[in-house]
Amino acid sequence: MKRKFTWGFIGVVSVIILLCLPGFLWRPQQRSEVRDHYQTLLAPVFLVPGSSATQNRFNALVTELNHETKSSHSLLRVEVKTNGQLVYTGSIRPGDEHPFIVVGFQNHNDGYQNILKQAKWFALAFNALQKTYKFNHFSAMGHSNGGLILTLFMEDSLDQKTVTANRLMTIASPFNLEEKDPDVDTPLFKRLTANRQHLPRQLVVYSIAGSKTFTGDGIVPFDSVNRGKYIFQDQVKGFTQITVTGANANHADLPENQQIVGLMCQDLLSH
Amino acid sequence: MVAMGVRAVQNENGWLGSHLIKLEVSFQRNRQVAAIRQSLRLIFPIILLGSLANFFDQAWLQQSGYYYQTLHVAKWLFQVRVLRQYLRLVSAGTLGLAAILMAFAVSYYLVVPVTRQTTNRLMAGITAVISLKFFNVSRASVLSLRPIKWVSANLGLQGILMGLLVGLLIGNSYRWLLNRQKEADLTAPLLLTSGWLMGMAALGLIWTTTQTASLNAAFVSAIQWPFRLPHFILGLFGYSALNSVYAWLGALGSTTIGGQTVATAQNLEAVLNHPGWHLPHPLTPHTVIDVYANFGGTGMLLGLLLAMLLVHAHQQSRQVAWLSLVPTIGNFGAPLMVGIPVILSPVLGIPFILAPLACISVSWLCIRLAWVPAVAYPLLTGTPGPFLAYLGTGGSWVALGLGVVDLLISTAIYYPFVKWHCQAQAQLDGEVLPDEA
Repeated sequence: MKRKFTWGFIGVVSVIILLCLPGFLWRPQQRSEVRDHYQTLLAPVFLVPGSSATQNRFNALVTELNHETKSSHSLLRVEVKTNGQLVYTGSIRPGDEHPFIVVGFQNHNDGYQNILKQAKWFALAFNALQKTYKFNHFSAMGHSNGGLILTLFMEDSLDQKTVTANRLMTIASPFNLEEKDPDVDTPLFKRLTANRQHLPRQLVVYSIAGSKTFTGDGIVPFDSVNRGKYIFQDQVKGFTQITVTGANANHADLPENQQIVGLMCQDLLSH
Repeated sequence: MVAMGVRAVQNENGWLGSHLIKLEVSFQRNRQVAAIRQSLRLIFPIILLGSLANFFDQAWLQQSGYYYQTLHVAKWLFQVRVLRQYLRLVSAGTLGLAAILMAFAVSYYLVVPVTRQTTNRLMAGITAVISLKFFNVSRASVLSLRPIKWVSANLGLQGILMGLLVGLLIGNSYRWLLNRQKEADLTAPLLLTSGWLMGMAALGLIWTTTQTASLNAAFVSAIQWPFRLPHFILGLFGYSALNSVYAWLGALGSTTIGGQTVATAQNLEAVLNHPGWHLPHPLTPHTVIDVYANFGGTGMLLGLLLAMLLVHAHQQSRQVAWLSLVPTIGNFGAPLMVGIPVILSPVLGIPFILAPLACISVSWLCIRLAWVPAVAYPLLTGTPGPFLAYLGTGGSWVALGLGVVDLLISTAIYYPFVKWHCQAQAQLDGEVLPDEA
């Protein structure tokens, strides 16, 4: 009798060894598999100001956001000179997993050609930061033309093999510039829609519009912000449009608008 | 003859063994314990099926599963999504309702010896189920006077202990009443049933209005709170022992907080971004307990299974061991816990706590002295126990060796206790002790 049960023991041990075999065969490719699904602890939040604003544009906003969220995050500001040189102020605190990085430009003028240049400069700063801090995923928020710069960057310059874009929030970004006539497509809008299939598939996008009057936020026409749907819808994982009204709903005040600060805490920083 | 037999048993098992056998037998003869163990055996097939479904879902069909990764399941299996939906439904209908089944069965089995009437027995079970449900109801639906929604979360493996307690409460009240009643009397059970239901509904309403979580959810989070402490307060031993004690009492399922801790993430980051294998946190509950002291689920149940096969095991236990083989190798321990049952068995409870502690000591020492590298890669669900360390360290043979040593240690620790357990079972069944030869 006893011998029979010892055979049972040996049988189970052999089954365990047998089940380990696929693991042995798979092990050589384990490292690359782990690397593919690996997400760095560091996932910065990029903030890009609109035209005629500098890298200091969001100082007050970051203070406000740090006040609202449980853990406060450090702030690094980068200014990209017209010759491509990067000037850093502030720092990323060691151990801070979601620092804010504001990218501003020496040439921060409005206009289609300038925006294209700024998108290239942003890519320059992004790649330098990515090489230095070795993060492989990030989120981003752009105010006004900052949102256009980020969208252009994600369509044209983002290397999706090495870096994953998690979330993008655009605040009052005029995807059709300041064009008031809904029937006219600006060259920028045509370019954004033409390259939309390059957008990251797993990206979650929030587009926020301010509404001071019934047609816009005082500077950007509502129709221009509303055109975000022609770029993002059915292209990214999620696209949400939000319209904010009430006090501080005019274009320049939007980043400090309490509702938008709340939306940023909820949708951009809570992950 | 009997005296001689007892003495023979004593000689063979030593002082400890014979006393433990005696304790086990008297413990299991207790009416309450007997009802619980009968109930556990009753729900064993359901738990086994649910665990198998769970195992296949997590190990074969999910990205973090061992077989999914190593056998490249995504490449050759079609309709993975439908299959997953199906298996999750199976698992929800079996494991997910374990607490309800236990409440019914415990109450039923407690009443069985005192009445011959099936209606009374069934009514005791039904009352227990309804009472349990009164505390697991959607708060919003009750307070806003909308149609009532029942909550079914937390009625799974972790809720077994809660179901068991409700079953004991209701079942014993029926016992008490039926012991004092004539058989054919209908009014007394009717009064008792309505009394319990009205009373429990009132208590349930008080609970729902004052508490935001259901009773089971509150219970689960209450038993989890020690695990939320920083791990150096509880220590590796405390961590493991507490987990074992909970499981032994019937709170199965993972009581620890899952998810990637900061230490685990930093370990992985260090390994991927820097040459060599230098971990900032080599000794955490994850790198020691999850990897070296959890084969077959909480309490090194794979060691128990092997010991069962080595010992001249009791017929029923042996069958349970064979049936539970697949989930146990994949570290899903529920079938063995319920089928043997390990839950509330004093003799098996001792190695159930000791075996992981022994493995933790040995492994801690080996990692502390840097004889064995600590794991940094994510562990795949369903990986055979002793193999976890090998894959977690990216292919360290020493780590595999340590895993095998830990398995042998736990089997050796379980071995005498399993022997005594079998003898106790044999006595309870009124069987003649078979020869050891």
